[in-house]
Amino acid sequence: MSRIKDLQKNLFGGTTSNARQFGMIFTLVAIILLFEVWTGGLTLTSGNLIAVVSQYSYILILSIGMLMVIVAGHIDLSVGSVAAFTGIVVAKAMQEFSLPWPVGILVGLAVGALIGAWQGFWVAYIGVPAFIVTLAGMLLFRGGNQYIGNADTVPVPEGFRSIGAGFLPEIGPNTGYNNLTLLLGVAACVAVVWRELRARQTRHEMQADVAPVWISGLRLVVMVGVIIFATLRFAGGRVGTSLPISGIILIALVLAYSYYTRNTIGGRHIYAVGGNARAAELSGVKLKRVNFMVMMNMSILAALAGMIFVARSSASGPQDGLSWELDAIAAVFIGGAAVSGGLGTISGSIVGGLVMALLNNGLQLKGVGSDMVQIIKGLVLLLAVAFDVYNKSQGRFSILGSLMRPFRRDDPGQPLDRSLSTSDTDKAPIAG
Amino acid sequence: MTVDSTLLEMRSITKTFPGVTALEDVNLVVRSGEIHAICGENGAGKSTLMKVLSGVHPHGTYTGQIVYQGDEVRFSNIRASEQAGIVIIHQELALVPGMSITENIFLGNEPRRRGSIDWKAAQRRALELMEQVGLREDPDTLIKDIGVGKQQLVEIAKAFAKEVKLLILDEPTAALNEADSQHLLDLLRGFRERGITSIIISHKLNEIAAVADTITILRDGRTIESLDVKADGVNEDRIVRGMVGRELHSRFPDHTPDPGEVFFEVRDWTVRHPISTERLVCKGSSFTVKRGEIVGFAGLMGAGRTELAMSLFGRSYGVYLGGRVFKDGKEIQLRTVAEAIEHGLAYVSEDRKAIGLNLLDDIKTSMVAAKLSKISTHGVIDQVEEHRVAEEYRKSLRVKTPSVDEGVTKLSGGNQQKVVLAKWMFTDPDLLILDEPTRGIDVGAKYEIYGIIQRLADQGKGVIVISSELPELIGLCDRIYTVFEGTITGDVARGDADPELLMKQMTSTKKIPTP
Amino acid sequence: MIGVAALLTLSTACSNEREGETTAGTGTGSAAPAKGFAADALIGVALPSKTSENWVLAGDLFTNGLKEAGFQSDVQYAGASTTVADQQAQISAMVTKGAKVIVIGATDAAQLSTQVAQAKQAGAVVIAYDRLIVNTADVDYYIAFDNFKVGQLQGQALLDGMKAKKPEGPWTVELFSGSPDDNNSGVFFNGAMDVLKPLIDKGDVVVGSGQTDIKQTAIQGWKAENAQQRMDSLLTSTYNGSKTLDGVLSPNDTLARAIITSVKSAGKDIPVVTGQDSEVESVKSIMAGEQYSTINKDTRKLVAETVNMVKSLQAGNAPTINDTNSYDNGSKVVPAYLLPPVIVTKDNAAESYANDPKLAPLTQQ
Repeated sequence: MSRIKDLQKNLFGGTTSNARQFGMIFTLVAIILLFEVWTGGLTLTSGNLIAVVSQYSYILILSIGMLMVIVAGHIDLSVGSVAAFTGIVVAKAMQEFSLPWPVGILVGLAVGALIGAWQGFWVAYIGVPAFIVTLAGMLLFRGGNQYIGNADTVPVPEGFRSIGAGFLPEIGPNTGYNNLTLLLGVAACVAVVWRELRARQTRHEMQADVAPVWISGLRLVVMVGVIIFATLRFAGGRVGTSLPISGIILIALVLAYSYYTRNTIGGRHIYAVGGNARAAELSGVKLKRVNFMVMMNMSILAALAGMIFVARSSASGPQDGLSWELDAIAAVFIGGAAVSGGLGTISGSIVGGLVMALLNNGLQLKGVGSDMVQIIKGLVLLLAVAFDVYNKSQGRFSILGSLMRPFRRDDPGQPLDRSLSTSDTDKAPIAG
Repeated sequence: MTVDSTLLEMRSITKTFPGVTALEDVNLVVRSGEIHAICGENGAGKSTLMKVLSGVHPHGTYTGQIVYQGDEVRFSNIRASEQAGIVIIHQELALVPGMSITENIFLGNEPRRRGSIDWKAAQRRALELMEQVGLREDPDTLIKDIGVGKQQLVEIAKAFAKEVKLLILDEPTAALNEADSQHLLDLLRGFRERGITSIIISHKLNEIAAVADTITILRDGRTIESLDVKADGVNEDRIVRGMVGRELHSRFPDHTPDPGEVFFEVRDWTVRHPISTERLVCKGSSFTVKRGEIVGFAGLMGAGRTELAMSLFGRSYGVYLGGRVFKDGKEIQLRTVAEAIEHGLAYVSEDRKAIGLNLLDDIKTSMVAAKLSKISTHGVIDQVEEHRVAEEYRKSLRVKTPSVDEGVTKLSGGNQQKVVLAKWMFTDPDLLILDEPTRGIDVGAKYEIYGIIQRLADQGKGVIVISSELPELIGLCDRIYTVFEGTITGDVARGDADPELLMKQMTSTKKIPTP
Repeated sequence: MIGVAALLTLSTACSNEREGETTAGTGTGSAAPAKGFAADALIGVALPSKTSENWVLAGDLFTNGLKEAGFQSDVQYAGASTTVADQQAQISAMVTKGAKVIVIGATDAAQLSTQVAQAKQAGAVVIAYDRLIVNTADVDYYIAFDNFKVGQLQGQALLDGMKAKKPEGPWTVELFSGSPDDNNSGVFFNGAMDVLKPLIDKGDVVVGSGQTDIKQTAIQGWKAENAQQRMDSLLTSTYNGSKTLDGVLSPNDTLARAIITSVKSAGKDIPVVTGQDSEVESVKSIMAGEQYSTINKDTRKLVAETVNMVKSLQAGNAPTINDTNSYDNGSKVVPAYLLPPVIVTKDNAAESYANDPKLAPLTQQ
């Protein structure tokens, strides 16, 4: 095998990476290439990439939180309303009490935390299903938005707008690019190389097979190539533009949450709860606390997303956040999370979100109406998940699988369990 | 009443599953109008035989012949056997809790008039059927609002609605209290008067000896004997001998037990059922475990062994009513699983797949799941260490896998069980409670698991083994407690343990004085 | 593997292309709107979701009108459920595609400043169509019917209608206004109040419920159901006795019909109800003697004038403007071209809609 699988593993860096995520990377590349050709090269222009990042950063931020909620076996339908509610509270607070905008952001995060604690309480400690709690929240906070804002649009001050519409400043010598973005790109390249070396070293310490040098090399060439390309694009837009601030916030969150979900006890517990809550409980995991934290975290991220949107729109309005929950949920499922919980990665959800974003953007560049865009997005979601379900039921990964079969030594689809079907048929599942 | 005509004859039934022969050349003859009991240990093939009869395993998946009412029958599914008047009532009742008694009795069999359900007729008929089974309730009562005993009667009424000729009851009294059980047995006698034939599968040998006309004993998928209760003068001891009459040798690794001092003690542990408020699942249980001792818990299904273990392990089952736990002479509190783990307890569940493992995990993740703090600093998991620990267990427990990165679902039952054992050994426990540790595992793997258990004891840990296989307990344990209906009824030392004695204590409420 | 190779080629291919683009970007970034542009340039039109006949009609007219004028057009409606975010993305896409003029019928006039700024910086001219985009200095022109005048006409029509029915006052009325997130709602309302306020102060016109503040009269989202709900509760709270309702100021036809439905189902006599937009159902209602008046703001004329504006911009000329001081959007006074509205009642309907193929047949009796 296992070159491709190793590549896949390192691209996603996760033990739970699966073929759907790998498939989604292909899909993403295919969509980009398709629209790049179809729109005559508009998709990958600096201006468009910058626009896409600032348009979808808030959805992607939501999908980070949503991934964790879904992995833990819940769902959150209230994120759009929570975002809108936070937006109007922050806008009003800054308008009426002339709060400085950084304080406004803190207020917004606090509002998110409070709402999250409220919803987490019902889900974790009372045991009301998250679907119901957040459906209630969806109505509650949508109404709250209109109540506080009088269903009116409330503008926000200039400084606040930077988190949604801001760019890195132009400093240093005139290189024809945004210098700070270039610096970020260089840092990213260094980080990628360091991580690869580190990973090799770790594999070595584990006395596990270390991938051949050429694979590491190829992987680095691809990743560094992508980073350089993206850096030049984002740095090379109109003067005054760069990688958007909202994009930087997004990247920081993705890195932090990926690390958290993969490398910490807290993250591991979320997967344990979603995979088998009873087994997790019997292993000493504090079920209620995990559920509470996951729901609370989601609302905080929703609050942040809401503020970014308000900043970008320069005002908070009654239509903010409409159907964001659906976009975020779709991103998570396209990105390979399991409906029943326990499976999925942050990076997968981001790829899923990007697939939706670039599809949306490409269709808009082609001038396809929003009605058709919705139809196409609906079909993409259905097909992506159906593809996965079908493959699981077949115990293989049909198209991708048949491409990769010669390289694979294992088949993660079906359990190989001969003994259990026959033995001990006389006993009930739980008895003493 | 003729009792001599043969209603059913199953001839030389052989049923194999991939790798295992569940039934081999089994013969069963049931006469019209009798109560016929089928006895055997867990895994002897009783349920498989009934599944062959009722069409769950359709014709063609087994070899042999079924002759029913004089003709050979070939049922392709349950519906076909029900149409022939064979109705099986499983231990887990197939009732819809939110529907009324009437609705349940006629579920899938609704009396129709001109296309719609004739509820008036249904109601009338339901009352008749309820009368026949001695159930006095409003037919509109919801199933969830009546007790298990009455639910059982609804199941039987449901069978009568299908014009039953041969009624099969799988462990009908396992979940019932004494009075309900008695009522059910009386009811079976009443059916016999009316010419309805019953087959009853039960572990409660006293009940069988009291009610059955004929007993067929299965062991290891074969028919051992068929006894005529009156003619042969059968009693419980006679049945037990038939059931457990196999030799025990070389199924266990050699081991010299060396128990130390008592270090773990439970006093008057009392727990009630999580839903049913009047049902106690542990009635003032007291027991001790010594360092380096392997203690067995023997009991029939529903005796309350798992409930006892899980309620001790951080109150994971039922509602705690009372009792104290001492470790090394000091009283300890085990209110949460985290606390139990902290105090050195480990519980390996009988149901690996449902509550023992996260089947989405890989091997290494599973092995460290119960004590992540051991390989973490400031909440960050050291993945090199995780891998190292898992490799160590893979080698020492001989888990057959190419790599610890594989998913646990890819392992066989025995190897999965080793992973679960590793998971709990990793918490460095003083007392391991192993609930049916060899369930669903083939003979070779069982031997290895026994070895692991003995090694743990040799390291000075206390081990509690809960098992439904008496030979396993006798071969492995230094001491065996017997449990019957939530009460510890005996404490048998290794030298005194024999199947007949244990079986007697497991089936009677009489508390036998501890030797 | 294929993907990897593709990415590699892409990244190298694009780094070459980059230099040119960067300088081009820097060059045009701060430049003023270009002096004219190609005759077949792309013109973007971003409209709200298809919730009213008028927007659908406007979209079709833009598509055809711009095509006839030789331009390429990209006409987009916002999605019904995600209006604001959709419109933002659509405008960005138009900028990316290099649209020279972007005509925007805003969904929420206060939430587009980032996109408008983006368009402006890319050298596009932004025309606010029908709804003034606020809080941004980057809007170039505003084209609409004179909405203050619309309000005045509505107020006058209300008075005329009531006088015709009941020559002597005082008359009891109720006031409705449009969606609070639509800048025009206030303009209509203020226009109407310009006429009604003096009479209310004198006591000749009485607002039965006492609700005269625009916050109380607003109907969220211009939604018929919301108007009907408000009217239902007004009838219950204020007109449950013998009190009669003489007239209702309604800002548009959709709301007018909802108000009439509500009054009818309460079993009351239909009061004088104003309207706007000349929707088919309302014209029928006027001819049937239910709704009293509507406003003919001929969408054809408005679109035609907008296309004319685009044509002048293409030629490098300054477009015709007839108001340079009324429309302050919070950041600047936007130069506007205002078209005069026409009030339509049963009396002049045939004459007003003579040129409208859809409405003209309805007025023949």
